[in-house]
Amino acid sequence: MLRLVITLLLGLSILHGDVVELDAWKKKSPSDITDLLSIQKRLRELLPKAKKALVSIEAGDGAGSGVIVSKDGLVLTAAHVTGKTGKKMQVRLPNGKRASAITLGGSEISDASMLQILGNKEWPFVPIARKGDSKVGDWCFGLGHPGGFDKERGVVVRIGKIIAKKDETMQTDSRLLGGDSGGPLFDFEGQLIAIHSRVSQKPDQNFHVPIESFHANWNTFRDENLISYDSMQEGGFFGVACEETKDGLIIREVISGTAAEKAGLKTNDILIEVNDEPLDSREEFIIIISSLKPGDEAKVLYERKGAELSVKVNLGVRPSIKE
Amino acid sequence: MKIVTVLLLSVSLYGIEEHKESNATGDLLPLELRLNGKSTQAAFGEAKETALNVTAKLTRNDKLIAMGAIVSPAGHILTKASSCVGARLATLANGKVYKLRIKKRNEDLDLALYQMISTKNDFPYISWSESNSSDKVSWVLSAFTELEEIRVGITSGNKREIGREGGVMGVILGNENDRGVLVTEVIPQAAADKSGLRHGDIIQKVDSRSVKKRDQVVNLVSKKDPGDVVTVDVLRKKETMKFRITLGHRSVTFDLFNRNLQMSGPVSKRKDNFPLIIQHDLPLPKEAMGGPLFDLEGNCIGINIARVDRVTVFSLPAEIAEKMTAGLKK
Repeated sequence: MLRLVITLLLGLSILHGDVVELDAWKKKSPSDITDLLSIQKRLRELLPKAKKALVSIEAGDGAGSGVIVSKDGLVLTAAHVTGKTGKKMQVRLPNGKRASAITLGGSEISDASMLQILGNKEWPFVPIARKGDSKVGDWCFGLGHPGGFDKERGVVVRIGKIIAKKDETMQTDSRLLGGDSGGPLFDFEGQLIAIHSRVSQKPDQNFHVPIESFHANWNTFRDENLISYDSMQEGGFFGVACEETKDGLIIREVISGTAAEKAGLKTNDILIEVNDEPLDSREEFIIIISSLKPGDEAKVLYERKGAELSVKVNLGVRPSIKE
Repeated sequence: MKIVTVLLLSVSLYGIEEHKESNATGDLLPLELRLNGKSTQAAFGEAKETALNVTAKLTRNDKLIAMGAIVSPAGHILTKASSCVGARLATLANGKVYKLRIKKRNEDLDLALYQMISTKNDFPYISWSESNSSDKVSWVLSAFTELEEIRVGITSGNKREIGREGGVMGVILGNENDRGVLVTEVIPQAAADKSGLRHGDIIQKVDSRSVKKRDQVVNLVSKKDPGDVVTVDVLRKKETMKFRITLGHRSVTFDLFNRNLQMSGPVSKRKDNFPLIIQHDLPLPKEAMGGPLFDLEGNCIGINIARVDRVTVFSLPAEIAEKMTAGLKK
């Protein structure tokens, strides 16, 4: 009976020879052992290159992870691993070799940050995904040095799926532990799609910084700007809560008495540009506004009911978070 | 308060439940499609059925204390020795319950062999994997505690030996001089605390041997295993006192301070001193230790021997665990 079914199935696939079979990892869900084996095979193919670019980052009192993304040794990691800008740190490659590095910029909002390995060497690196390459439901795999570098154990690999992606955060069910922070998350094309950020109380809902957060602020971070909640206190204040959607950066709430309300912005307006800078992410918008001072003028281009409108906004003072 | 949240523009605050509500567009991956969702589990097909049929739940006073692998048609069950002390009953996936009889224990490997009391000689039992598993990343699965679902994941990290940890008193040592070694901190609820040691005590002797350096204390104590007793002579306010301390597990004692483990939930007491382990990331509670680990073909590649933290389980590989079943009729 089974044989008959197989014969029939084979027959069908011959009849539909022009139908391209979807790679197992692109399916909504694996259907059988064959699919699982394809996923396993793919993972084994992608691992060697991904592992080579992984670094363990050693701070005085703790450790994190990071990943090299350029030949000259630019490392993407998490802001809570690097701390300040211009700080000397040590990185360790999977073969155990150490190298000196210096922290660049980053953001406490998304937890993204950058580090530069020093010295004129060529480093192994991984390709970076483009904006929008990763989506909810995709398979992914994470690497890291949980608890620090351990030669006997080696690099730890974990598999999972993207379960949510919103603004500056991606969530997966790929497992994380302290020390994994700053480590890379890859898609099944071998591209870097996110950086490990925070563990959640539930082990199957961990947080990552999506690569989009780096893309939107690449030069800001590279030029050693660190956006912290403290530094934002001094900056200008607009007065909206917004969210990234596929239609753009949409205003969800206008806080009464703020610059945004006075300028006439309304819920559901879509923010397009600030001071001629196109907005790629919510975080970029926050960074631009906080880089200005209270009283500064910001030219905001936005969309309302299909029409593009422009308004000049006098920024206010950010209310203190502290009571 | 709501305003403050908005001002902070904090993203770290939304939990999954909250997210579900605010995402009318269905941006959250349904549970069934996740790594351990029903749909992914179903793809494991026969390996899944095998895992459920040859794994047993071991209980004491109706409480799950460990799981086990059925290793013979006569109903022998292999499990984690230190978890299953006092195991009375085995429950199988078909709901049948059997009384247990202990056959063998191997403290070195932390394995115990039981047998279900029955005249039956056709229990479904595991087939050991014959290929020595490599360091290559592979899918693995185990039955979950109710024997209705499985948990799936991958091997991660190298196969390796896990060294011995030795017992600990649960103290932090400070200054050392001719009189002895100062105790600067006693970890609450740990071995030394339970025996009455206090911070400020000066340790002068361990098991009747004089100590003047921290290393001497550490060496004498760590030669012993958790559960062993050491006698400690201390000087407290010019008075000499003697304490008998039953040593604790390093991991349990000191990991109370470790944030990773605070978030991990209960971990296995013994998670050290194994000749070889496979590391994997199956989300299993410590009560699921002792159960078998399978590959995609449904062959048993190891026995889950220790829940190390929230994302790490160690398994004793088949080639080592199988020795405990030598001589059993197949």
